[in-house]
Amino acid sequence: MEENSINSSGRIKGLIQDFGLPRLIITGFLILLLIVAPIVGADLPTQISNIINRFSWNGILVLAMVPMVHSGCGLNFGLPLGIISGLLGATISIELGFTGPVSFFMAVLISTPFAIVFGSLYGWLLNKIKGGEMMIATYVGFSSVSLMCMMWLLLPYHSPNMVWGMAGKGLRTTISLEGYYKEALADILQINIGNLMIPTGAILFFALLAFLMWAFLHTKTGTAMTAVGSNPDFARSAGINVDKIRLISVVMSTWLAAIGILVYEQGFGFIQLYMAPFYMALPAVSAILIGGASVNKASIMNVVIGTILFQGIVTMTPTVMNNMIHLDMSEVIRIIVSNGMILYALTRKTEGSK
Amino acid sequence: MNKTNLGDIFRRFSVPLMFVLICAVCAPISGLSPSYLANEIVTRMGRNAFLILSLLIPIMAGMGLNFSMTLGAMAGEIGLILVSDWQIVGIPGMVLAMIISVPISALLGLFCGKVLNMAKGREMITSYIISFFINGIYQLVVLYLMGPVIPIKHSNIKLPRGYGVRNTVSLLSMRQKLDNLIPLTIAGVKIPVATFIVIFLLCLVIIWFRKTKLGQDMRAVGQDMEVSKDAGINVEGTRIISMVISTVFAGVGMIIYLQNMGNIATYSSHSQIGMFCIAALLVGGASVDKASIGNVFLGIILFHTMFIVAPKAGTVITGDSMIGEYFRVFVSYAVITVALIMYETNKRKNKSRAGEELARAQEEENEGAA
Amino acid sequence: MKGQPDKKRILIRTAAIIVVVAVAAAMFVIGRGHTVYFDNKVLEYNGKEYKGPYSIEVQVDGEKVAKLKDGERGMTPTMGQNFSMDLIIKEEKGGEEKKVRAGLPLPYNMDGIIINLPALLSGLPEDAYMSEFIPTPSDEELEDEEVVTDEMEGLMNFGEDGEQQ
Repeated sequence: MEENSINSSGRIKGLIQDFGLPRLIITGFLILLLIVAPIVGADLPTQISNIINRFSWNGILVLAMVPMVHSGCGLNFGLPLGIISGLLGATISIELGFTGPVSFFMAVLISTPFAIVFGSLYGWLLNKIKGGEMMIATYVGFSSVSLMCMMWLLLPYHSPNMVWGMAGKGLRTTISLEGYYKEALADILQINIGNLMIPTGAILFFALLAFLMWAFLHTKTGTAMTAVGSNPDFARSAGINVDKIRLISVVMSTWLAAIGILVYEQGFGFIQLYMAPFYMALPAVSAILIGGASVNKASIMNVVIGTILFQGIVTMTPTVMNNMIHLDMSEVIRIIVSNGMILYALTRKTEGSK
Repeated sequence: MNKTNLGDIFRRFSVPLMFVLICAVCAPISGLSPSYLANEIVTRMGRNAFLILSLLIPIMAGMGLNFSMTLGAMAGEIGLILVSDWQIVGIPGMVLAMIISVPISALLGLFCGKVLNMAKGREMITSYIISFFINGIYQLVVLYLMGPVIPIKHSNIKLPRGYGVRNTVSLLSMRQKLDNLIPLTIAGVKIPVATFIVIFLLCLVIIWFRKTKLGQDMRAVGQDMEVSKDAGINVEGTRIISMVISTVFAGVGMIIYLQNMGNIATYSSHSQIGMFCIAALLVGGASVDKASIGNVFLGIILFHTMFIVAPKAGTVITGDSMIGEYFRVFVSYAVITVALIMYETNKRKNKSRAGEELARAQEEENEGAA
Repeated sequence: MKGQPDKKRILIRTAAIIVVVAVAAAMFVIGRGHTVYFDNKVLEYNGKEYKGPYSIEVQVDGEKVAKLKDGERGMTPTMGQNFSMDLIIKEEKGGEEKKVRAGLPLPYNMDGIIINLPALLSGLPEDAYMSEFIPTPSDEELEDEEVVTDEMEGLMNFGEDGEQQ
């Protein structure tokens, strides 16, 4: 089954089959929004720039879902753990006095060992509790976020741009990246045509990581990962070290989440600490599911489509609704659509292991 | 053999023991007087026990921790909002709110049960997401439909723009009416006798329910779905009923909770209720597949002592009030995490043990045949 | 054979629903809350003036709710459709106290009810002594408030701090 959808002939058919009704509705809804937007007086180029921008912020966080889905660990609800690695990288990079785009590079560099260590522990844990990954991942995320809340206060940070002015210690809840790596990627080769703005650098960075992920999935380890995900018993009998492969996938996912949050911050312009990462897994999870992934199947295409659809709806609905009926129901729509999508995916029967 | 049993016992009570330790260390440091603590804990016992008891039945049916008990909480809130708008006050107001909440809870429980039947093996994460999903629907109803579709008359409930309910709805007319129905103060500790009677009745109902045919079926389903199915039990139906009962109890529990609080935070009262009810239950020594009434009460005492004491102790130790607050949040999540991990590892261990036994039995059979 | 228990079951269920609905209806009646305002003010009715006594003390269930001098207003929240109170009347300063028991039915559809005590004591008809209190919304109430539907709300304290002390 799995082999079929990988080779090209079965691919298109599989794509349509996998598309499913909810995705069709969401796509239809977004297209409707795009059509209605100019009619009700929203500026279409601005809207499209917004979507592209938000895509560039969030793409990598969604991409982080792919390895764990492939290895059969399910949706990575423990994304906040990776995000914390990224936050550690970001804050340490600033603390060490790096500025400008260099601070972004350093943040990536510093967060990597954290991501590897946290990811390994997390992966080791998930190997102990096969079958119950998603719930435990959720709570590993929650626990780590709340543990780090204490750490942000206690760790010896001193940079005056990050700590509370009065106390001289303890990190602030939001830290401005002005002068650090704000738009470090987005500014590279940025295209401006009227109201249309494309953050080329950030998109290229996403494309690079997506390509690397795609390439990785075609290496020996990558195909082994897919095998583990689709049929662990078969993989084991074929001589694959299942636990090791799963561990690799978890580390990869954690690292991508760390990079993902850094890219998000460079677009957003702020570092958000404390409880902010708490629910960050949910938008990423629903985005990849909207893109056509399931609990045990995900491709790069799912990531791209899903992020565009999800961010499209999130950015378009408020403006269109406000212009149309002066009633901003976008928040409610977002909650219902994104969680409804996760529910839909969780209730699908999955092949292979549970 | 004896040693492993001791180890098992230790493992079972490790979480409550840890909490006893935390409380024992933090309570003196916090500097709170014993009478203050006793008062707070008795209040919280009355406030939370009903809600936490609503978690027991899905655990019995093997559906794990019911994260979607928030559904019932939302139904209870809707009942209370309507009743406050109709100006039905005091105990009759509470009773009416309960009567209104029951069909809503039952409907939501039915939905939840049906969805969980489609997601067997991952009930907990699904019920967790359901609570988010229904929160969206709740917001749709309370924020947009209340006013134009569901009539809301009073301007202290409805937003001035004409639709939607305010951030807080005052329950002054109902506040602690049940708690103070039978006033009793022992050694400076105010005891909400009537609330405790209601809670006691629920305990009796749960004990009785376990012995009924349906209760027995539920336990069988919790043990093994396949075997129960072969035994002629309607597995899916039983699971749905357990969700419906839990949600209805949660709705009633939320009304008792809010009458004690004295106001509804319309958009946030329910959102974390499932989380900390579950944490309290687990602190009491319950696990994902086993929980008793005793766990509920022990859990409330330990969890809430920690909850009251930790921020004060944190302030004394570190000089920062936030540390203690983050600490208690961390501990709440950590407890759930640890409980979930222990449950999953035990499940795997039992599975492999069963597998080994099966293999051994087969081997013996083969030898016998040879 | 099979029809019998089913019929019985339907009967029991219908009965249960009827009981619940009846309880709900009863709650509507006995639980209806009103705010009763008492006026000790001069009232003109059919061209005649009814003057109030020097002071009236209003007691509900034996508890003092308000003590009204001439021209003052007091209030109390009540529950149910029947309202009874004890009025302790002093005609003039330092004069004799007189206790009068007054009971009256409250109209269901009024939230706030003003009772003019002099008119009530003079035995005038209901439309004379009773009128509806229509609250003027305070500025605070008229001000649009922003609804906070943040998922993070209550994450730190689990809603425990929402308690009204």
